[in-house]
Amino acid sequence: MVVRIVTDSTADIPVVQAEALNITIVPLTVFFGDDAYLDNIELDNAAFYKKLQESKDLPRTSQPSPAAFEEAFTRLINKGADAILSVHLSSKLSGTYQSACTARDALPENLKKIPIEIVDSQSISVGMSYPVMEAARKAQSGAGLEEIKAHLLDQLARTRILAVLDTLEFVKRGGRIGGARALLGNMLSFKPIISLKDGEVIPLEQPRTRNKAYVRLAQLVGEMEPIEYIAIAEASDEVGQQLAQALKATYSGEIPIYKLGGVLGTHTGPGTAAVSVVTAG
Amino acid sequence: MQEQSPRRIRIRARRISVFDGQDLKKAILAGAAWLEEHRDSINALNVFPVPDGDTGSNMSATMKSAIRNIATSDETSATVIASKIAHDALLGARGNSGVILSQTLRGLAAGLEKKSTFTSQDLAIALQEASRLAYRAVIKPVEGTILTVVREAAEAATQSAEKGDDLVAQMQEVVAAARRAVARTPELLPLLKQAGVVDAGGQGFCTLLEGILRYIRGEANAPSSPAENIVKVQKEPEARTMKGRVTIEEEFGYEVVFLLRGEKLDVETIRQTIIDMGGVSTVVAGDEKMLKVHTHTLTPGKILDYGVSLGSLLDINIENLQEQSLTYAAESEAEHAAEAVQETAPVTQIATIAVVSGAGFEKVYQGLHVNAIVAGGQTMNPSIEELLSAVDAQPTNQVIILPNNSNVILSAQQVVDLTPKEVYVVPSKTLPQGIAALLSFNFEADFTTNCQHMTEAIKYIQTAEITMAVRSVHIGSVRVREGDFIGVVNGDLVVAGQDITRVLHDTLQRMNIGDYELLTLYYGENVTHEEARQTAKSIKERHSHLEIEIVDGGQPYYAYIISAE
Repeated sequence: MVVRIVTDSTADIPVVQAEALNITIVPLTVFFGDDAYLDNIELDNAAFYKKLQESKDLPRTSQPSPAAFEEAFTRLINKGADAILSVHLSSKLSGTYQSACTARDALPENLKKIPIEIVDSQSISVGMSYPVMEAARKAQSGAGLEEIKAHLLDQLARTRILAVLDTLEFVKRGGRIGGARALLGNMLSFKPIISLKDGEVIPLEQPRTRNKAYVRLAQLVGEMEPIEYIAIAEASDEVGQQLAQALKATYSGEIPIYKLGGVLGTHTGPGTAAVSVVTAG
Repeated sequence: MQEQSPRRIRIRARRISVFDGQDLKKAILAGAAWLEEHRDSINALNVFPVPDGDTGSNMSATMKSAIRNIATSDETSATVIASKIAHDALLGARGNSGVILSQTLRGLAAGLEKKSTFTSQDLAIALQEASRLAYRAVIKPVEGTILTVVREAAEAATQSAEKGDDLVAQMQEVVAAARRAVARTPELLPLLKQAGVVDAGGQGFCTLLEGILRYIRGEANAPSSPAENIVKVQKEPEARTMKGRVTIEEEFGYEVVFLLRGEKLDVETIRQTIIDMGGVSTVVAGDEKMLKVHTHTLTPGKILDYGVSLGSLLDINIENLQEQSLTYAAESEAEHAAEAVQETAPVTQIATIAVVSGAGFEKVYQGLHVNAIVAGGQTMNPSIEELLSAVDAQPTNQVIILPNNSNVILSAQQVVDLTPKEVYVVPSKTLPQGIAALLSFNFEADFTTNCQHMTEAIKYIQTAEITMAVRSVHIGSVRVREGDFIGVVNGDLVVAGQDITRVLHDTLQRMNIGDYELLTLYYGENVTHEEARQTAKSIKERHSHLEIEIVDGGQPYYAYIISAE
């Protein structure tokens, strides 16, 4: 059984790795004024943050259209896919999941016989990339759709993502602030620690400085043993390195560092660093 | 009492064997009045030369509360009067000295239980009980304080009763012993000796006893007219239930966007300044040579002027937001359009109550979603009742109290046993400590974990206070003259001088400012924003590694309260 894995650009999986694992990435779009860029294809992390600094417009994002998914599904089926597993960022943060579902329902009859499972990861970025890549590995070794999906859901259930932002302004402006609105109104400067729960942003703590925030992240990570997998997503080298250094206090292994893409950047702003932890099953 | 014979009038020394409720009442009223009369001189004994936490005021306020319900009572049973006094003293207790005083009255009432009248023997037992409860009220009892005076007064009462003294003679012995104990307090507490004063709390208790003695001896008129001792009806406690504020961030005014090119541009400072100027949805991104500013404001000129003062502006764009409807181009992105931000208090099962002084500090605490703020009142020490009311008013069953003052911690701890709710007192001694505790609140954690976190968090905040001395005093190695500016670090007076800036800088030196990264400067009600800014600037000049944040605290008495972390 040939199972193909599809995801979207918010998974922040580097193009090279996606190609090696045969993962199809359907990109979201980042707008600066009237200029549209396909996330992580026409605008990568470095280009995005540079543009954020230089452009007079603040960026906006939009989910892939159903047509983009239809096109991707059709292509995969025509190339021999027996089944498709499409995994996407939380449906509470974007309409991407919905687009994928709409696309599946609109497929012509002859293609509808191919099973297409669409999963709302309830997460984002490094919170979903590892389970997606694991799913792709399993698909490459010949596992069936149901088995891959079950394993994916199980890993997602054991995954937690925590992020430190420089400011809540971007999250607020992007409209996905969720429970973190409880942190608004704080008159003092602070570096919010937020997480995702049930697919929505929730506030965790309000340390005053980035240093303190990273120390807290390390402590929180320390409480999540035993760890099956851990990864960092960074807006810039500087914060990624700082976070990696802080995590050494409670985790001694190597931690892979990924770049946050433009969609994440639009909704979190510069200076963001996140850590994702998959606890052992 | 006068005894008359047909031919000679003999006047006997006053002798009373038995007191009833009315006698007790009048004696206590007299004691309270005498204490009030000496309130200021007792305040002057406080070693720490700052006007908050005054012992005389706290003890007098406690007594005023104690007598409020019995002042006009006809009750003749001593135990009833004593119980009422004890109960009302507890509710009205302010500050550590007030709490201990209320415990002595509680002990007195316990000793007089079931007794409608009492003798010197009964009073001796009651005073012993008073002493016992006073000691128990304090976690670490220290000799040379009110505790010593209560104890020795009780001992004198016991010895006197054993000798067969009546109540008058006994009271004389009690007061004499109390005076001796007060006089000895500087020998027991070096701090007092150095300051050249006796212990204020001990003196306050002694004064109360003196007032009682004066009444018993007939030297003072029992305040019989309610008008003399009228206690103002207890104010509604100033606790407020914060149900949450609704602030809707609407699009209004002008959208101002520009690139700013300059040298050593400080993103955080610029962002905060623009926010201070009224900028909404402010985004400042970039580095020290070039950054992009985006904000919404009613006064675009002000923002541009500010930008021009920092460097050169490029790509300036100003749009009138009301004339233009903002459209988001993407398809069903409209469903997720930026929602009006509703600020509501977070849904949590734990309520927090903070004791706060200063309009600005209140705003900061409100911004941190504290559920209720209890104002300190004249002495900055709220009564137990005020704290209790705030706790009871919360809709949750779990409540955390932030006393933010070492003289309020004891009062707050009394509340724990007075309510069926689960109450925990985080031992915060300063307003910044309370803020640190609130900031460490974890929305996901349970009550116990949060109590631990918050208690832990206050350890990592250093607080410095800059104020003016209201008395001349010698503390530790510092000689303070009335009118000097003084610097206090974590409760210790470390610097005194005539120049406030010098005192401030010396104080910061003493707190090893090099070890910290963020300084928050809360300026008081008599300091202007501009003055605070200048102060911050001068601090930054000497300690360039520091991030400095200026906040309008609006607090009385303290020109600056500074937290370092």
